[in-house]
Amino acid sequence: MHALLPGTPRPAFAHASEAELARILDFYQVRWTYEPDTFPIGWSMQGEVVESFSPDFYLPDLDLYVELTTLRQKLVRKKNRKLRRLRELYPDVRIKLFYARDFRQLLLKFGRLALADELSGTTGQATPPRPADLIVHEAGANAGAAAAAVIKTATVPVAGVPVAGVPVAGDGHAVVDPGHRRSRRRRRVAQTSPAGEPQQHAR
Amino acid sequence: MTRTADLQADIGEVLLSEEAIAARVAELGRQIAADYAGRNLTLVSVLKGSLPFMADLMRQIPLPLRIDLMEVSSYGGTATESSGLVRIMKDLSASIADEDVLLVEDIIDTGLTLNYLVRYLRGKSPASLRICTLLDKPARRLVDIPVDYQGFEIPDQFVVGYGLDYGERYRNLRFVGVLRPEVYSAGE
Repeated sequence: MHALLPGTPRPAFAHASEAELARILDFYQVRWTYEPDTFPIGWSMQGEVVESFSPDFYLPDLDLYVELTTLRQKLVRKKNRKLRRLRELYPDVRIKLFYARDFRQLLLKFGRLALADELSGTTGQATPPRPADLIVHEAGANAGAAAAAVIKTATVPVAGVPVAGVPVAGDGHAVVDPGHRRSRRRRRVAQTSPAGEPQQHAR
Repeated sequence: MTRTADLQADIGEVLLSEEAIAARVAELGRQIAADYAGRNLTLVSVLKGSLPFMADLMRQIPLPLRIDLMEVSSYGGTATESSGLVRIMKDLSASIADEDVLLVEDIIDTGLTLNYLVRYLRGKSPASLRICTLLDKPARRLVDIPVDYQGFEIPDQFVVGYGLDYGERYRNLRFVGVLRPEVYSAGE
């Protein structure tokens, strides 16, 4: 059975490297979803989520999130910080961060170094159009709206939020007691791999 | 005509010498022979990179064993554009049902190829399936599959030699080396 099911919409990836990784995963028949979950990682004193993290991919068969970064060093540092925070708050969440160098090496391994150069930084923002991605453009608006909805719902107060008296960091974010676990709010969006829902995947 | 000496000029650093590889392969052979004594062992080699490793390893296992070869398409090759999916380019020549199979790999990197192969081979009902790799590069691992026999764990560098290639070259080097970045930067 092909991993690519006819008519399955592909998401509008924010970066060409994400589109390339999706193609690699499709090739090796590893199922994925794109930005399915948003993890709150910072709260105001009022309990509003002020910072969150949405890993790029979730691989359900491996129970693994994958985050790509091909950004400038300053932005990589920010992402590293968010990743550390996520791991502190959600220690059961398995996540792998692919740095620009990692991804470049991966493309080199697959003999696609020219593509690696195209994917660096801001020049990689636009997904190069390919025939197999045409359906992406048609579904792009819907996928973007769905993603926006995920972020929006993350602003509602989370159960178990800090109450008055909880220390607040200098930037105004609530400091979470490491012993106080946040329940993971999962927002499943219809941005799945062409392999479809678990019960549809043939082995 | 490019000669081996010219190929060696493209190597920035020898990571594993011919002697180190030979010594480790011999150790692995002894281990495997001890573990598989009295069993129906089939070594399955994944072409093309594992060819030298397979040839040396099997001669270090003094057991009655079978060998078989497989080849799987790699992302980025011609198979990518034609079908978009990994496929078996050369399948096993004999059944492995009820055999104790040892999958022999040259290198495990992301684990994507191995993941696919393990799923495929399990479908053929072997009595057991274990993994032996010469090189393990865990830095970019996506799929965690237990490796039963590991030659060397290596850092995140692009290595060639002893079966491993870049652009189908360098496989015949007797050692494992790190390719100079200028070689693959200029090559595209």
